[in-house]
Amino acid sequence: MAIIEVNKLSKTFKVKLKEKGLKGSLKSIIKPKYKEIKAVKNISFQVEKGEIIAFIGPNGAGKSTTIKMLTGILYPDKGNIKVLDIDPRQERKKLAYEIGTVFGQKEQLWTHLTPYDNFKFFGAIYDIPESRVEKKIKEFTELFEIEEFINTPVRNLSLGQRIRCEIIASLIHEPKVLFLDEPTIGLDPVVKENIRTLIKRMNKEYKTTIFLTSHDVGDIEKLCKRVIIINNGTVVLDDSMENLKYHYLNKKIVEAKMKEKVNLDDEEGITILKDKGYNLKIEVDTKKRSIADAIKLLNPDNIVDINISNIPLEDIISNIYKKDRK
Amino acid sequence: MLMVVKNQIRITILSIKYALMREMLNKTTFITNIVFMILNNASFLIQWIVLFSLKKNIGGYNIKQVILLWGIASLTYGLSHFFFKKAFDLSETINNGKLDVFLVQPKNVLIQAITTDVEPSAIGDMIYGYIMLFIYGISLKNFLLFTLFGICGSLIITSITIIFSSLSFWFQKSDLIVDTVNRLMVNIATYPDGIFKGLTKILLYTIIPVGIVNYIPVKVLTEFNIYLTLISILVTILLVLLSFLIFNKGLKRYSSSNLMIART
Repeated sequence: MAIIEVNKLSKTFKVKLKEKGLKGSLKSIIKPKYKEIKAVKNISFQVEKGEIIAFIGPNGAGKSTTIKMLTGILYPDKGNIKVLDIDPRQERKKLAYEIGTVFGQKEQLWTHLTPYDNFKFFGAIYDIPESRVEKKIKEFTELFEIEEFINTPVRNLSLGQRIRCEIIASLIHEPKVLFLDEPTIGLDPVVKENIRTLIKRMNKEYKTTIFLTSHDVGDIEKLCKRVIIINNGTVVLDDSMENLKYHYLNKKIVEAKMKEKVNLDDEEGITILKDKGYNLKIEVDTKKRSIADAIKLLNPDNIVDINISNIPLEDIISNIYKKDRK
Repeated sequence: MLMVVKNQIRITILSIKYALMREMLNKTTFITNIVFMILNNASFLIQWIVLFSLKKNIGGYNIKQVILLWGIASLTYGLSHFFFKKAFDLSETINNGKLDVFLVQPKNVLIQAITTDVEPSAIGDMIYGYIMLFIYGISLKNFLLFTLFGICGSLIITSITIIFSSLSFWFQKSDLIVDTVNRLMVNIATYPDGIFKGLTKILLYTIIPVGIVNYIPVKVLTEFNIYLTLISILVTILLVLLSFLIFNKGLKRYSSSNLMIART
């Protein structure tokens, strides 16, 4: 059964246009002009139970708008949404009991209170009996390793500590779906890794479906098995991580240290990325030329060292973003 | 249904309690805020004492009634600004997309949004209100009526503010209207009924309901009148319902934002 079902969803914002300067302001009072910005255009997708899905796209692609419609913050113009079979438009509160949200750029905690008091507050918001809240807090305190600062006011915590608390606060009511909007923004690599491990464990232990947006390729690569890429308000790609990595671009990077210089100019299916005398870096389009073929061109006897790798995911993704812009 | 209401009340009390705890972090500011508000209000009474030494009756009020009027005005202002401080910033909350946090929680958005902060100086207004009642003459009946009108009045002020603020869902800037209406209410609230005539008087019983918030209580406390009391309660209920209706209608047009910080 699909946990999230989105069908032909659209959202348009009306933005007032203003010419520059005071004159423009006066003009817009007398005769206001509006521009319609189609933030989300007719998108459809499904998410299955227990999936960790990456919902990515460049800035302004419509990610946040979509997440906000899924969680009941924004009201869609057209289309249908079903999250856990609940329509966020009609039963916002009912849905709120079942989902958790973490917005990396917004805080939902009371900053003058300790994490412990905050968790109690969130327990009350979701009408969870006192004893159960205590049990949950104890469980998460161990899982997320926050014993050290559970009694320190939130405003005195570091960003990494705070984010961990934000995630716990959104998990207190054991949501079935967790929406994470850039949870690792601004965190150092160690804390990032830490958060990722926790998200993974959550998914494994509680079978929580996770809907993640991030600009951090590491998040996506390490957590998600499926990717939906959205650009200019439309879904441009909905595929498994593996397909995206190995088949989407059909390209390999070959780095070789040579005994002698080789001239590969004008060879079909090969792009030279770097040519520094004996060090060569080329991109092989495996649709046009096989790797074996490319190595033959280099002459195996001539190779001192070789490294064949996939194109970094980051490049693949930014290529998709750019391609769609054209 | 009963459970829903009970849980909502529980979370509202908790929210106000936490907000109060935040204000009390700085003890000195907290206490001086309250004391100075009382002194500030008291200073206004001096000009009335001077006026009444010249004339026995101003706009149909004697000095005791003016004291009562000040009492009720302070109490309604105090209650509404203490418990629903954020209602007076609701326009800004809507325009800056700060409702997101409340929309993902399974509680009433409007109640959550307006009870997330308290105004400590408003405690001074509430205390001052009861001091004025004490000077006017306290009895159990006066105390109960005064409190009842205080609650009704504060709910009316808050509802009117919410209604005008909700216009922000349709027009970008409605905070100007909200500020104007609020300032008018505060300014007019401490002047006797009788000095306003004609169109102004009609306004005072409709859009700027100072008449219902302040003048009816003074009348009823001077000479008890059950009908006026009931009208007051009825208007309160209607306005509260209307404020929820308009806010919820507007909420569908809410456009959020990507600004940071939801709770300060």
